[in-house]
Amino acid sequence: MWLDISLVSIIFIGLVLLGSSRIGTIIRLFAFQSLILSSIPLQVGWTDLTWHVAAIVLGTLMVKVFVMPNFLFWAIRHVRMRREMPAILGYGKTMLLGGVLVGVAFYISSKLALPNPYFSHLFVPAAFSIFAIGLLLLVSRVKAITQVIGYLVMENGIFLFSMLLLDKTPFLVEMGILLDIFVAVLVMGLVINHMTEDYEDTNTFNLATLRD
Amino acid sequence: MFSVILHVSFALFFSPLLLGVVAKTKAFFAGRWGPPLLQPWYDIVKLFRKGSVYSTTTTWVFKLTPVAVLATALLSCIFIPLGTLAPPVYFWGDALFFVYLYGLMRFFLIIGAWDTGSSFEGMGASREAAFSCLSEIILFMDLILLVMVSKSLVLCNMLNTSFFSSWASMGPVLILVVISFFLVLLVENARIPIDDPNTHLELTMVHEVMVLDHSGFDLGLILWGSAVKFFVLGSILISLFIPRHESFMAGMVFFMVGMALLALTVGVVESIMARLRLNSVPHLLTGGFVLALLGFIVILLKGM
Amino acid sequence: MIAFLASLIFLSAGILFLALIRNRPPWARVVFLTSLTAGCVLSFISAVYSLVTQASFAFDGHWAWPWGEFYVGLDTLSAVFLLAVTILCFLAGLYGVGYLKEGCGPEKDLSGHFCLYLVLLLSLVLVVTARNAVLFLLAWEAMSVSSYFLITHYDDKEDVRQAGLLYLVATHVGTFCLWVMFILLGTRAGSMNFDQMTAAQFPLALSGVIFVLAILGFGVKAGFLPLHIWLPHAHPAAPSHVSAVLSGVMIKMGIYGIIRVIMLVKHFPEWCPMLLLGIGIISGVGGVLYALGQHEIKKLLAYHSIENIGIITLGLGTGLWAQLHQYQAIAAIGYAGALLHVFNHAMFKGLLFLSAGSVIRQTHTGEIDSLGGVMKYLPWTGVLFLIGSLAICGLPLFNGFISEWLVYRSLFEGLFSFPLEAVMLIGFAIIALALIGGLALMCFTKAFGAVFLGQARSPHALNLQENPRLMIAPMTLLAAICTWIGIFPNTMAAFCLKAAASISPAGKNVPDIENILRPMAGITLSLGLLTGLCFCLVLLRKMALRSLPVTRSETWGCGYRGSTPRMQYTASSFASPIVLLFREALCLRRSGSRPKQIFPERVHLASEVMDASEHFFWQRVYVWIREICSRLKIIQCGYAQMYVLYIFIFLFLILIWKVT
Repeated sequence: MWLDISLVSIIFIGLVLLGSSRIGTIIRLFAFQSLILSSIPLQVGWTDLTWHVAAIVLGTLMVKVFVMPNFLFWAIRHVRMRREMPAILGYGKTMLLGGVLVGVAFYISSKLALPNPYFSHLFVPAAFSIFAIGLLLLVSRVKAITQVIGYLVMENGIFLFSMLLLDKTPFLVEMGILLDIFVAVLVMGLVINHMTEDYEDTNTFNLATLRD
Repeated sequence: MFSVILHVSFALFFSPLLLGVVAKTKAFFAGRWGPPLLQPWYDIVKLFRKGSVYSTTTTWVFKLTPVAVLATALLSCIFIPLGTLAPPVYFWGDALFFVYLYGLMRFFLIIGAWDTGSSFEGMGASREAAFSCLSEIILFMDLILLVMVSKSLVLCNMLNTSFFSSWASMGPVLILVVISFFLVLLVENARIPIDDPNTHLELTMVHEVMVLDHSGFDLGLILWGSAVKFFVLGSILISLFIPRHESFMAGMVFFMVGMALLALTVGVVESIMARLRLNSVPHLLTGGFVLALLGFIVILLKGM
Repeated sequence: MIAFLASLIFLSAGILFLALIRNRPPWARVVFLTSLTAGCVLSFISAVYSLVTQASFAFDGHWAWPWGEFYVGLDTLSAVFLLAVTILCFLAGLYGVGYLKEGCGPEKDLSGHFCLYLVLLLSLVLVVTARNAVLFLLAWEAMSVSSYFLITHYDDKEDVRQAGLLYLVATHVGTFCLWVMFILLGTRAGSMNFDQMTAAQFPLALSGVIFVLAILGFGVKAGFLPLHIWLPHAHPAAPSHVSAVLSGVMIKMGIYGIIRVIMLVKHFPEWCPMLLLGIGIISGVGGVLYALGQHEIKKLLAYHSIENIGIITLGLGTGLWAQLHQYQAIAAIGYAGALLHVFNHAMFKGLLFLSAGSVIRQTHTGEIDSLGGVMKYLPWTGVLFLIGSLAICGLPLFNGFISEWLVYRSLFEGLFSFPLEAVMLIGFAIIALALIGGLALMCFTKAFGAVFLGQARSPHALNLQENPRLMIAPMTLLAAICTWIGIFPNTMAAFCLKAAASISPAGKNVPDIENILRPMAGITLSLGLLTGLCFCLVLLRKMALRSLPVTRSETWGCGYRGSTPRMQYTASSFASPIVLLFREALCLRRSGSRPKQIFPERVHLASEVMDASEHFFWQRVYVWIREICSRLKIIQCGYAQMYVLYIFIFLFLILIWKVT
């Protein structure tokens, strides 16, 4: 039951993310989502708590809940912006679309034939939904920083997937993924910084001027 | 007949108290002592002793409005359990009757506002109608979820104490129901993130401005009606939390404490949140709908 | 049955007399009223008899139609529709006599109008009772043509002629589909009689094709959303009592046709009920949204007909789904909800059109934003319009609630028993129905509030007087029926349930009508309590106000002084929150400017809601067809020799076809 509640609240936070406009709120929501996410390995593997599980929990907690949100906060302080431009579709419609995507994700995963009995009915659909929500966030927002968060939310979905193979994935691969996204976010942070210098704005539509 | 009268008078008596608790909480957050708990009662009694002013523009519709508001609010309370008091009237589909009864109330409030010919009241009526349209679909989505959990469309079956046991299996869904229903409660009763019950400035002209021209006895009826509505919708929410209990008194205590906690929550929300801009209210309501939709999707996947 | 046949004879005699006498309005009126009364009362009696005894009658006059015969019958399904037709046509006819009396537009040929009205009535009666496809189609055609002439009653106006033409074209496109459908049915069954068709078995693919043709053919008449374009033009163009009949019963013939096809074919592919539910959701929500954007009262009501057709279709869709999966009880409830809504809609929409007509008759305008305060001058019309509005919003106390309740019930019961895909669609249908309820409430508070309450927005709305009793009495009767069904729904609901049970082929589990009707007692009890509470409160209020000072003054303007009636909130502003929220779907066009500077110049703002399917789909189709047709003009060269040549070519072609 607690696992179900965590999974539903992860989707719930994702949907709220789609509807929020303040960048500070978005970052905090992301941190909160990651916090719940990092507790999931504990809930799944509580009975035989290995060093492996503990390391994953601590790693995610460190990177996603503390380091990255702080880094993002630093970035927005640096470029002095607080509010997202209106989403391309409008917040209400983006949220509705998010709801529809979640429905589609649930429908698809109910049709998937997954081999092993996993921990909860909601596991795969939740992973799919988070992935879809991240994608939608990436597509529908204008500022670079919200797109970074979209990317991170998407990664949260993938993390949830990898949880299914918790005891089979080598430790090194997981740490590698974490490092990957960390570097990606760092790069994005630098891009945002340079965008502010060149265009005095972080609107990604400005990047369209870079084409031939 | 006796049980109907008991039910109605229970709601009539306790509903203003609920508003008193909300006001007290808000005062506490503002660092004041606040009005006495019985203040809403004093207000209503005071209004009942005042004379009335009627606009020359108005017709009988305007005078019918307060009566219709209080009567529909009171009728709506007889379908739901109030603590251990079982609802005196129930039938298949009374949940629909309940929702449409509030439609009737809103219809009269709106045409009452039209009747004054004032542009301010028209504005409020327009916003109220638009917001309730959206909150009504959230309410129906919640209703669908509760129906799918309890397998019945009779309000007293949906809200009785055996429902509490379904929290174990349907926890995630019920949390979503509770959150979105709380949103509906705030919209329907014109509470803060959507509307400010204390003012009727142009910016906040939603619910309160619709009754701007009512005075004296009529205003008293309307205030009482709104209080009963708050009480009734709140007690639906609280009924979802009342655990199985044996004695009459235990149920009553659970209910009372629950209601007080609800009023406290509303007061806290009102104190720590700012009122939303009008054009972002539909976004909030869309969010509420998407939450309820998520619940529907989850319940479909889990199987009923 | 004899009563029914006699009513047919009375109506035909009335038509003949009226066609013969000309230019004698008093005589025309007498003949019209006699034949209308006799025809309607006799048909009404036969319909009620058939519903009470549950007997079906048939009369087979072996006439030498090509492929057919004069074969009419009356079963419970026909009887429900016949009930609606006779009640509404009778009352609207009475109203029409008063409405056209004097001073309303230019002098028209009254006997011609009355004659066509009777033709319409006769053809409606024949459509619902025909047991032969050819007779059905003939009656259908007579209905379309006579209603075309009734719509173009004020034919001196350009837009009325346009509306009539659009209607004529649309309805004939539909009729074409119906011919194809009935020919398919007839060739398979070997006869054009409905009896043989019922006995025949149809392969699933064929029944799918028949279903699509039925949706297209009957859907044009019923006004399913993408096919509805004639409806919002035709209804405002017609005189009000004709609009009432068109909207109240004529468009329901499309619903009747679909139910009849369901009865004939019985087994359909899985996607058919899904299609119906989808159409129901789109028509229902779309209709009410467009209605909200209208500024003309009859156009608003016309769009509401589309909304109500959507609700009816939701009931039909659930019913069909349940029927295909052997849930007889749910099927019966769904169909019964649809049927009862057909009857109820005839009553309250008739009432609304008639009362809108009596406003228009006095004020000579239907523009909502130039009316206001009409309640003070037309008190009866105001009350009646209020009752109609409450009923159409589906609020308790009136009949709309009962039928929507039945539709809801079938949907909620379906939630428990249907497969996953169906449950998803049904969830959306419930939400759609809830949204329709909320939006309809907004729409009718707007219509009632802006037209009847407040102050008159333009001076011509002053010095009005209440319409003659001949117009008020029929409306009062309609309002009484609405209230009666709303408070004591058992009789009518039982009739509809019986008729609904006859639609699906009798399975093992027969629906238990008593059980379905049991909650109705609860509704009656609660409404009794509501009235009691209201009564007590009114008494209390009276007693309290007796001892308290009551003064009258003008409306408080929040400190603003010198407000004029034109500064009241308008209907379009009232609707704007929702219209703006759905502006993409409604194709909202705004023109005008915002005030600039400190002392702004004259500014104006106009907003208009465009019908998306009309402007973006049908107009393009029309342009395309016109292009093809202009290419085909070569054939029409003007030389008589060429025309004779065409005849020869065709003769030879036919000969060659027959020989080989």
